[in-house]
Amino acid sequence: MMSSHVLLQIVFVPALASLGIYLFREPLGKRAGWVAVAGLIYTTVLLVLTGLRIWHGAGSVHETYLLIAPDITLGLMADGLSLAVGLIANVLCLVLATFSIRYIDHRIEIIYEGVGARREASYYTRFYYLFLFFPMGFMGVSFATNLIGMYFFLESLTITLYFLMAYFGYIERVRIAMMCLLWGIFSAVFFLAASLLVYAQLGSFEIARMSALAGNPMAFWVIAIFLIGLFAKLAVFPFHVWMPWVHAEHPTCIAGLLAVYANIAAYIIVRALILPLFHDFQVFGPPIMVLALITMVYGSFLTLAQTDIKRVAACSTISQIAYSMLGIGALTAVSIEGGMFFFLSHIMGKTIFFSTAGIVVYITHIRNIENMGGLAAKMPITAMLFFSGAMMLSGFPPFSSFAAEWILFAGVFERGATDSLALTVGILGVAAILLTVGYTFLAAKKIFFGPLGAGLDKAHIKDPPLSMSIPLILLICLSVAMGLYPRAVMDLLRPVISGALMVV
Amino acid sequence: MDIQFAWLCLIFPFIGVLVTPFLARVGYTVMGYGAVLFSFLAAGATLLLLPLLFAPERLPLEVAYVWLETPIRVSFGVLLDPLSVIVANVVAVISFFIMVYCLGYMEPKPSTMRFWMFMNAFIGSMLLLVLANNLVFTFVGWKLVGVCSWGLIGFHHHDEEKYWIGGPPPYKMDTPSACGLKALVVTGAGDMLMLGGILIMFYYSGTFDIMTLYRTASEWIPRMAAVPGMILLVSVLLIAGPVGKSAQFPLHEWLPEAMAGPSPVSALIHAATMVKSGVFLVARLIPIFYYGYWVAGVPEAMHFFIIVAWIGAITAFLAASQGLVALELKKALAFSTVSQIGFMMLALGVSGFNQGLLVNGYTAGLFHLVSHAMFKACLFLCAGTVIHTAHSIYLHEMGSLRKYMPTTWIFMAVAALSLMGVPPLPGFWSKDAVLLTCLESRHFILFAVAMAAVVCTSFYSVRFMGMIFHGRASGHVKSLEKHHAHLGEGYPSQTFACGALALGTAVFGIVGLTAEHKLHDLFTGNLTGTLSLPIAEKAAAFPHLLVPLLSVFCVLAGAVPAYRFYVSRTWDVEAVVSRSGALQRIHRFLWERWYIDRFYNWFFVGGALRLAGFVAGVFEAALDALVHLRMTALIGRGGNALIEFVRADAPDLSNNIAYVLAVAAFLIAAALWWV
Repeated sequence: MMSSHVLLQIVFVPALASLGIYLFREPLGKRAGWVAVAGLIYTTVLLVLTGLRIWHGAGSVHETYLLIAPDITLGLMADGLSLAVGLIANVLCLVLATFSIRYIDHRIEIIYEGVGARREASYYTRFYYLFLFFPMGFMGVSFATNLIGMYFFLESLTITLYFLMAYFGYIERVRIAMMCLLWGIFSAVFFLAASLLVYAQLGSFEIARMSALAGNPMAFWVIAIFLIGLFAKLAVFPFHVWMPWVHAEHPTCIAGLLAVYANIAAYIIVRALILPLFHDFQVFGPPIMVLALITMVYGSFLTLAQTDIKRVAACSTISQIAYSMLGIGALTAVSIEGGMFFFLSHIMGKTIFFSTAGIVVYITHIRNIENMGGLAAKMPITAMLFFSGAMMLSGFPPFSSFAAEWILFAGVFERGATDSLALTVGILGVAAILLTVGYTFLAAKKIFFGPLGAGLDKAHIKDPPLSMSIPLILLICLSVAMGLYPRAVMDLLRPVISGALMVV
Repeated sequence: MDIQFAWLCLIFPFIGVLVTPFLARVGYTVMGYGAVLFSFLAAGATLLLLPLLFAPERLPLEVAYVWLETPIRVSFGVLLDPLSVIVANVVAVISFFIMVYCLGYMEPKPSTMRFWMFMNAFIGSMLLLVLANNLVFTFVGWKLVGVCSWGLIGFHHHDEEKYWIGGPPPYKMDTPSACGLKALVVTGAGDMLMLGGILIMFYYSGTFDIMTLYRTASEWIPRMAAVPGMILLVSVLLIAGPVGKSAQFPLHEWLPEAMAGPSPVSALIHAATMVKSGVFLVARLIPIFYYGYWVAGVPEAMHFFIIVAWIGAITAFLAASQGLVALELKKALAFSTVSQIGFMMLALGVSGFNQGLLVNGYTAGLFHLVSHAMFKACLFLCAGTVIHTAHSIYLHEMGSLRKYMPTTWIFMAVAALSLMGVPPLPGFWSKDAVLLTCLESRHFILFAVAMAAVVCTSFYSVRFMGMIFHGRASGHVKSLEKHHAHLGEGYPSQTFACGALALGTAVFGIVGLTAEHKLHDLFTGNLTGTLSLPIAEKAAAFPHLLVPLLSVFCVLAGAVPAYRFYVSRTWDVEAVVSRSGALQRIHRFLWERWYIDRFYNWFFVGGALRLAGFVAGVFEAALDALVHLRMTALIGRGGNALIEFVRADAPDLSNNIAYVLAVAAFLIAAALWWV
């Protein structure tokens, strides 16, 4: 039933769409957004079909393509874990591509005012042919079977971010784009070094073969070097300093994807380090849990102090990603599965949060939340979206983050029964959720409640066009569906994570 | 069939939520009636569960469907036992009357759609909390109730000055949106800790199902007890949730500000639903800890009961004392609610002190929950009508309203007398049961504190009745009279709802003793039969009339001076206070709510913001400067030097790339060297 090369299509159809937009940029003009959306709908359908196949017991889907004889290959593999990550990431790309159709038009008008319609259309198409490298990168990272493949796709994301930021970001966009690039390279250098170390030991970059390193003293160094690189990507304290700048200065339609870019490192840790090297990873569990706790508390206080609506969302990402890390650090099957589920829930919530912040800035042209207020009366749909985002981040039912939080902390406390550090971190971790409730709802109160801000132009404040709000509403529906029926995700994750750890 | 009724109880309010926007398109009046209809259907379905209480051998009934199989097994189902059936009826029936009241109270306009949706969601969530067969879905209801309360307290989110509470000026005023946020955060603190407690318990028991937790207690409690301090830790964490939701000390400070919502919301939150959820959950957990101490012999399990009892007693007195000086009508009632829930907690706490008290304490706590729900809902709804008529939230701007609102006066008087504990109203019977259990526990300090709270209750009840309805009309009322403002009863639907609750209170008082005995039998069967908990038959240690007599004495001790101050006005309260420096200091202390709210604001709110300011303004700024300025400057200088050495031109990007390449080369070399 499934067409062949399905994974190859999922990874490279966005790149082909990008090429198409580039080649036909002039005739396409502002229809380029719909081409991107069409491409992403196609890959989403492929992912859903593949997901259903796996969910019904097909196990996994493998594809290998010979690049250079004799043994340089591109391996792609979809199992429950990679499929769940890939599917949600692709859906977010689809949602944000649709959202951007109007948003980026407006952004170009502001940045490149007076350049003329032709140049504007050129920037518009440029946005979309760059944007499509995100789904390619995310799918590539999700499905790659070897470290070099992952490295390639990760780097493609970093470079794409650089250009998108430099072209379409906010005030200090070029400087921050460079900062983002450097941090990406910093992370990549460690990733590459660790990958080479693996190759030197095993003669292979294949993740499936990494379990041969188990018990080898070099496994410690491999994990440590990988972790330094990935911590920088995850913005774990003290490697988080880039996150507020980069998130805040990106156009908001990209900022949502930036959360995926950062958080996907959690997937890499599970896929490339924990599953093959579970026992060697144990020594890293307690420090990761402590770092995660520090990061979630630190990130929360950092968020609480922000007055720039975009930095609120940016700093909260630091705190939120740490929850996935906590689940990973507890190193029980339940906590890891919970951590992965939380990762998926968080990126959906963060997409809503960032995009709604973008809508507010789009409509009001103000970023300082102290100068806002009373917008709920004028923008009820936006208010509903923002509060949904706040609830998603705070783990309220019926959103998927509620179920994810339960599973994650059930795993943490499972470890806590025999480990007083984990118990302490677990209790402080659940208590820290209160900080999330505090900063999200406090920001929401300042933005949407009370009298209308004095400096706001009442006549022009209204909800955004439907092309911006409907994709976000659909994403909220998806989160609710996953919250009401978490088995859809957990049944995908379990065979991969619990299955692998049971064998170990 | 009974189980189907339970499902219907859950489903109807949520259907009400979904159809309200569609009904709004037909018309706002239709929307209101439609919303009330769904609460009526929920109440009807809940009432159909009542026959189960007369056939207790059929209980418990449970049905569940698997919600999540892996990695943790969670089912979604309903559990019908005496506790859930009784509390569900209290919630659904009283909520229905509150909804009827809203038909008159809420102006039909677009924003009321949000009101009706939140109200039905609130009722549905509360019923989910009560009827769920496991702690996960109890927690789902718990969290949803919190969100709905936030939405309802902050219903007037434009924060117009007329909706502010607090004061009167120059004292601090609070906006509805700030009050809603405060409620969400303070109750959330308890929620999160409780989540930790539930998950630790899950690790040892392997289940969230309530009946399975009871049934397998003999297996998992000893395992948990094997870790020193674990049961104490779990007790504290689990109690934190009810303490937050039921506004008990030290998380009680959100409730007075929750009065910023419309009056029916106050009634819904303070009488029928949210604040009762903590009492309900403590009652749910009692069999587990009782088993732990009295059967498994784990001494730590007693801490659960000690903590609950002391929290209850302290809160009962603390809040009642604050009610003595409150100037806002709804705030006085809010303090009263906090205090009365303290009585419930006290009864539930002492129920574990010895085997002879289990059923008595359990029954007393829940009996007081039922009676309080009825008379306090009546009081809040009457308060809504009074405030509407008086155009003021302050008691000192009322006075002499009885001539304008005779019916409301009667309804409110019945409810207030019940609150005071005047026989034969239900408040007397239920408070008597609480006090008797407390005395029988021989914890005389707890008993003394509770009696002091009874005195305060009696005083503030007479005080607010006197200040509203009796004495001379205030200047504000005179001004209303002068301007021919409408001074009279509320809308018929308001009067009907208040009357129904007042009548229910009176009738419940007449059958109070019988109802108490029936509840006692029911819980005896449930706790000793179904749950096989051991109890001991104990002869009463004190004369049976001692507690009623003491109770009536305390009521009089509070009521007589309050009557002379505020009703007959034969004593001048201002003159008395102005003559005594000690009384002025006490007044100030109580007016400042024991300085607890001020301390919390300074320590938690101010502290968090100060810490956030330090983190962002000092620490993060320094770290950012170190990484993004100093290190790059250092690297830039080094890079420049290197580039100067190897080539002539040195643009910025080249520096950075040179640096990156140097680091990469170093790391690769290091890695290869290690290999």
